[in-house]
Amino acid sequence: MEKFAQWLSTTGPSVFIQQHEAWMIPTIQSVHIVGIGAIVGTMFMMTLRVLGWAGVDQTLGQTQSRFGPWLTGALWLLVVTGVLMVVGEPVRELVTVSFWVKMVLVAAIAVIAVAFRGLLRKDSDSGATKALAVLSMAILVCIILLGRFIAYDHVWAHILPAGKA
Amino acid sequence: MDLQALLKSLEETGVAKGIRDSLFWFPVLEAVHVMGLALVFGSILVIDLRALGFASANRPFAKMSEDILKWTWAAFVVTAITGVLMFVTNARVYAENTFFLIKMVLLALAGANMLAFQFTAGRTAHQWGEGPTAPPIGKLAAALSLVLWISIIFMGRAIGFTTTGKAVEAAPPPASVDFDDFLGGGGDAPPAPPAPGPAPAAPAN
Repeated sequence: MEKFAQWLSTTGPSVFIQQHEAWMIPTIQSVHIVGIGAIVGTMFMMTLRVLGWAGVDQTLGQTQSRFGPWLTGALWLLVVTGVLMVVGEPVRELVTVSFWVKMVLVAAIAVIAVAFRGLLRKDSDSGATKALAVLSMAILVCIILLGRFIAYDHVWAHILPAGKA
Repeated sequence: MDLQALLKSLEETGVAKGIRDSLFWFPVLEAVHVMGLALVFGSILVIDLRALGFASANRPFAKMSEDILKWTWAAFVVTAITGVLMFVTNARVYAENTFFLIKMVLLALAGANMLAFQFTAGRTAHQWGEGPTAPPIGKLAAALSLVLWISIIFMGRAIGFTTTGKAVEAAPPPASVDFDDFLGGGGDAPPAPPAPGPAPAAPAN
């Protein structure tokens, strides 16, 4: 993976971002955070509705059609800016533990989101729907934590026994 | 007491020292700050898009703001507390950072904009709120709100990139500390005296 990261950092798009990193990296990261805001906002609204704490004048199906497309849109914004960050700083991202744990959780939440969407479309006001909503929010919190920790992986590697080798 | 002295005394509080001396607290504060601002921005986005008529246009505005704004405020408190805690660790550096100062001005403008909305379109929300969009003044405030909050996010990230590594307290390490040995790279160096705890974490980008 380190070799792949080194190779990626020599490719055209990566070199371009590196040459303009002073403004491109903060800008891409900021857009990524805007996307996080959109996804947290929509997920939170859907969770509140499923738990019966907000928007109860709407059915679950209506809630899904209101917020679902925004969730998908925000996810694509995060994927695009996320890929750009990896391309721009391959070694910073790909060689960290936090990044890969985060990717596993992103895959998990994507699978859960598809199941969740199915339940909402069926207006299934069941315990499973509530459980998936709460689980998604919990995973989202972990994903945000890990996203920030990517920046500190190399700092912590010095004190964690696993990173000393 | 002048401002510089006040900022310095903030840096010398036990809380500020504790966060600076820990490898974990600053990253955790940053992450919680991101979660808080994500909820502040995400929930404001829902409200603003409703006022603009771009989403949830079929739902009463008053009902939506009643459902949502309490969470926005709760998240704002979390974001403000984590923001203050990060600020005190390096107060004099942040206080003279251009992006930090712009961010504070934008936050004040966002607050003023919110009040302006409350006292104009907010007062008549029970009338227009059943229809798809706010009156022009309300739409203007909603659009301005989105621009301000997105700018605040950009400024926040810029602060991280322009203050990193600029610690105010850069006292030289004691001569007795063998850094090669401390970082696990020591070869023939004689055993160093007990290490004085982990080095403070430099906030990373």
